[in-house]
Amino acid sequence: MNMSAAVTAPVAIRVHDLHKSFGPVEVLKGVSLDAREGEVISILGSSGSGKSTLLRCINMLEVPNSGTIEVAGEAIRLKTSGDGRSRPADQKQVDRIRSELGMVFQSFNLWSHKTVLENVIEAPVHVLKRPRAEAIEEAEALLAKVGIADKRNHYPSHLSGGQQQRAAIARALAMRPKAMLFDEPTSALDPELVGEVLRVMRGLAEEGRTMLVVTHEMGFARDVSSRVVFVHKGTIEEEGPPHEVFTRSKSERFRQFIKS
Amino acid sequence: MTEPGFLDIISFGADGWGPALAAGAWMTILIAIAGFAIGGLIGTFGAWAKISGGPVVRGCAEAYTTVLRGIPDLLVIYLFYFGGSAVVTAIGQLYGAEGFVSFPGFIAGALAVGITSGAQQTEVYRGAFRAVHPGELEAATACGMGRFLKFRRITVPLTLRHALPGLGNVWQVVLKESALVSVTGVVELLRQAQIGAGSTSRPFDFFFIAAMIYLAISTVSGLILQVTERRFSRGVRRG
Ligand SMILES: Nc1ncnc2c1ncn2[C@@H]1O[C@H](COP(=O)(O)OP(=O)(O)O)[C@@H](O)[C@H]1O
Ligand SMILES: [Mg+2]
Repeated sequence: MNMSAAVTAPVAIRVHDLHKSFGPVEVLKGVSLDAREGEVISILGSSGSGKSTLLRCINMLEVPNSGTIEVAGEAIRLKTSGDGRSRPADQKQVDRIRSELGMVFQSFNLWSHKTVLENVIEAPVHVLKRPRAEAIEEAEALLAKVGIADKRNHYPSHLSGGQQQRAAIARALAMRPKAMLFDEPTSALDPELVGEVLRVMRGLAEEGRTMLVVTHEMGFARDVSSRVVFVHKGTIEEEGPPHEVFTRSKSERFRQFIKS
Repeated sequence: MTEPGFLDIISFGADGWGPALAAGAWMTILIAIAGFAIGGLIGTFGAWAKISGGPVVRGCAEAYTTVLRGIPDLLVIYLFYFGGSAVVTAIGQLYGAEGFVSFPGFIAGALAVGITSGAQQTEVYRGAFRAVHPGELEAATACGMGRFLKFRRITVPLTLRHALPGLGNVWQVVLKESALVSVTGVVELLRQAQIGAGSTSRPFDFFFIAAMIYLAISTVSGLILQVTERRFSRGVRRG
């Protein structure tokens, strides 16, 4: 994408000073990150560094202890309940914002009791209350786009991992999300199936979609993303355009990380 | 009344016991369905309490299932029937009625069967929920489904597919337990067979026919269950 647009485009997701602990362990130690519309941000980091937790705080699958999350300029309101725990102040707001963020999981998480097509239209029809016929039409177009139109009446268990993940991407797209969150979308796939999923994601990036992608695919991070963020032990250790950080990072740790 | 032959017992003619036995069978089915449904409601709450309740709620659910495992089902029916009657009698006395007012046996029976099968269904639903892949539930949350929508569209169908075999067993137990309700005077299948046996000289015939009817009900419901199971396990890869 055009780098100057990245600086001036409105902020799609703003994460400010995010802290998250599980019990006594602080997993995120003050993370701040802006994703502008059309940006593709690759989030790198070794296992256990807090990448998933960061992503899951954005749509409140984990509730942060402190800090703010804004989606399209709207801050998610949190409150502190009696036991000192932080909770969403308005569950309706959280549900609405979740519906505006498409999430793609490492383990696909398609609903196994529904066909591919039923998976894709489920939330548009029942959450967004779109007319069923219209949702089906759009779903079929999305399934064609990710290359599994012929599988629309199959159950997920009869699909390969790559096909399941592409169906999951179509399911997320069907919500017409403002931004998409990918948590290691290719890590559970057999090596020969990684390419087909990455191709779909590259296509989305070229369409100008806003994407936050936790990944170990260095090729994707280098060639597709507009920015790379390196998380280390719950803080952002390095961040910048891929051509800069991959060639001349000031972080010794990041240089070590990409070498391994 | 002249002594009936075997065919008179099952006949629907003027002197036949057919209509009475059919009515008894129908009552058995009604008690079983009511008890099973009440148990389903209790089981849903029980499972919810055990899975996501706080320590107090969980403790209550635990106490409920433990206590009911330890009490004979017949005793539960007596407790409901005589407990209910005591309450109704006390209320009756407030309004000037005299003596013992009995509690409707059908209601006492259905409640008692419901409470017992509720304890079993609590365990069935809890186990079934454990078998659901948590990622599928999380995906529902992530796309903005509210609690109730997620429960109805995702959690229930996914849980039911794992619960159905267990629920089939619970249903067979409920069907048999419905016979215990005969002690409250409700004329269900067993009670009707007893009446027939007592008023003719052919007790074995009546009990034999009752056994056949129980068997028929349980076979038919087994078939219905099989069809339902197939419906709910669509999408499950068979090994
Ligand atoms: N629900 C949870 N409860 C307790 N600890 C957790 C939970 N989720 C993650 N963690 C811990 O937080 C740390 C960061 O996890 P995660 O964000 O999944 O890392 P990453 O995705 O970078 O591998 C890990 O040490 C992990 O064990
Ligand atoms: Mg992770």
